[in-house]
Amino acid sequence: MIKRKFAMVTITALAVFGLVLSACGGNSDSGTTAANELEQIKKAGVIKVGTMGTYPPYTFLNDKKEVDGFDPDIAKEIAKRLGVTAEFTTQDFSGLIPSLQAEKFDIVISQVTITDERKKQIDFTDSYITNNVKIIVNTKNTDITKLEDFKGKTIGVGLGTNDETYLRTEVLPKVGDFKIKTYDDVITSLKDLDAGRIDATINNLYALKPIVDENGFQIKAVGEPIKSDMAGVALRQDNAELRDAMNKALADMKADGTYDTLFKKWFNETPAK
Amino acid sequence: MQLVFDNLPFLLKGAGYTLLLTIVSMFFGLIIGLSVAIARLKGNPPIRWIARFYVSVIRGTPLLVQIVIIYYGLVDYGITLGSLTAAYIALSVNAGAYLSETFRGAILSVPKGQLEAAYSTGMTPWQAMRRIVLPQAMRIAIPPMGNTFIGMLKETSLVSVITVSELLRQAQLLIAQYYQYMPFYLGIGVMYWIMSTGLAFILERFERRLAKAY
Repeated sequence: MIKRKFAMVTITALAVFGLVLSACGGNSDSGTTAANELEQIKKAGVIKVGTMGTYPPYTFLNDKKEVDGFDPDIAKEIAKRLGVTAEFTTQDFSGLIPSLQAEKFDIVISQVTITDERKKQIDFTDSYITNNVKIIVNTKNTDITKLEDFKGKTIGVGLGTNDETYLRTEVLPKVGDFKIKTYDDVITSLKDLDAGRIDATINNLYALKPIVDENGFQIKAVGEPIKSDMAGVALRQDNAELRDAMNKALADMKADGTYDTLFKKWFNETPAK
Repeated sequence: MQLVFDNLPFLLKGAGYTLLLTIVSMFFGLIIGLSVAIARLKGNPPIRWIARFYVSVIRGTPLLVQIVIIYYGLVDYGITLGSLTAAYIALSVNAGAYLSETFRGAILSVPKGQLEAAYSTGMTPWQAMRRIVLPQAMRIAIPPMGNTFIGMLKETSLVSVITVSELLRQAQLLIAQYYQYMPFYLGIGVMYWIMSTGLAFILERFERRLAKAY
C-alpha cells in the first residue's frame, strides 16, 4: 500500500515537472527592458562590462591582476566618452551572452564576432576590429595545412564561439568527419595542442603571439586565412540609445586617432584601412 | 521543450558518458577506498601516515582543481592523459578518499568480540577480516556509500571542463547552437534526477538483500 502511494507521488511529481518544462518551451520575450538603459548607466556612473579575461592580447589579466588588453581598453575609452567608468567582470566565453541577457552586465566586449545567428538574440555596435582566422597546429605537425586536411583528425575550439559554429555547420559537412573538442577558453585549447591531444585548432594570429612568447608553446599557424571575422561590442536588444552612443564613441575614437594608438599599443602595427 | 526532444539522442549520449564515468570511478573508488581504510586501521605507521595524508589532501581540495591538475597540470611533467582517462583517474581518486572514511567507520563499528571470536577459531587476521568483519561492515557502509555514489553521479558534470562530452557538456553544446538555455538545463536536470533516483533504488535493493542474513 505504502509502496503504491509512493509511486503515485512520484508520478504526480514527474507530471508536474513535465508541465513546468513544457511551459518553458516558448521564446523568452525581452519586452520588459527598461525604457532607456543609457540614462540608467549615466546615472549610475558605471557601465558593467563582461569579458573573458583569458585571451591575450585582447582581454587578459596583467601583472597587477587587472583586466587589461585591447578589448578592455576599447571599453574604457567608450566609457570615458559616455562620461562613466567601466567595471569589468570575467567569465567563460560561453557564459558571457547568457549573463548579458540575464542583465549581469550592460555590454560584453570579448571579441564577440558579429553573426546573423547572434543578432537574433543580442545587438551589436559597429565592428571595432577585423581578425583573420588561420589554422593552428603543433610545430611538429606537417600533415595539416588546409581545412580539407581536418578529415579524421581531432580539432579543438572554444565552446560557444563563432569558430565552433563555423566548424560544425560549414567545415564539417564540406570536409567530412572529424572530431570537435570544445574548450572553455583559448589558452586551454592551445595547451592541448601543445601537448598533442588535439591535431589543430583555428584562431587568429594576434591571439597566438603572446601565448607562444610567454609560455613557449610549440605551435604555429599554417596556410592561408580561412576567414575574417568582425567583432563588435555586444549589448541587449531594444537598446538603441546605448548602441548609438557607443557607435558614436567608436567613430570619434577612429576619427581622432585614439583607436590607432590603441591598436598599435596591442598589436604593434597600424590597423588595416 | 520540443528542442530537447529533437536532440534527445544527443543528450542521451551524454547521459551514457555520465553513467559510464560514475560506474567506472565508483568501481576503482571502492578498491582504493577499501585499501586505504584497511591501511589506516592495520598498516604500520608510515603507511598509516601516507593514507591519512591522501585522505586529507583529497577531501581538502575541490574536485574541479584535482581534475584540472591531472589533465592540464601533469602535461608539464610529460604525462599526457586522454580526457576520459584523466576523468576516470580524478573521479576514482576522489571517491576513494571519501569511501575510505566510510569503510573505516563501518569496520570500526563491528564489535571487537567478533574479531576475537574469529581468532579463537584459528583464523588468520586476513581471514577474519575477509570472512567476519568485512561482510558485517559492508552492510553498515551501504547508506553512506549511496551518498558518495549519488554525489559522484552529479559531480561528473565537472569533467566537462576537460572536454569530456558528458551530459552537461552535451547540453552546453546544444545551447551554443540554439541560444536557448532553460529547456536544455531543465532537461538535463530531469535526466540527472532520474539517474540518481535509479541509482538510489538499486542501492536500496542491495541493502535489503544484505540485511536478509540478520
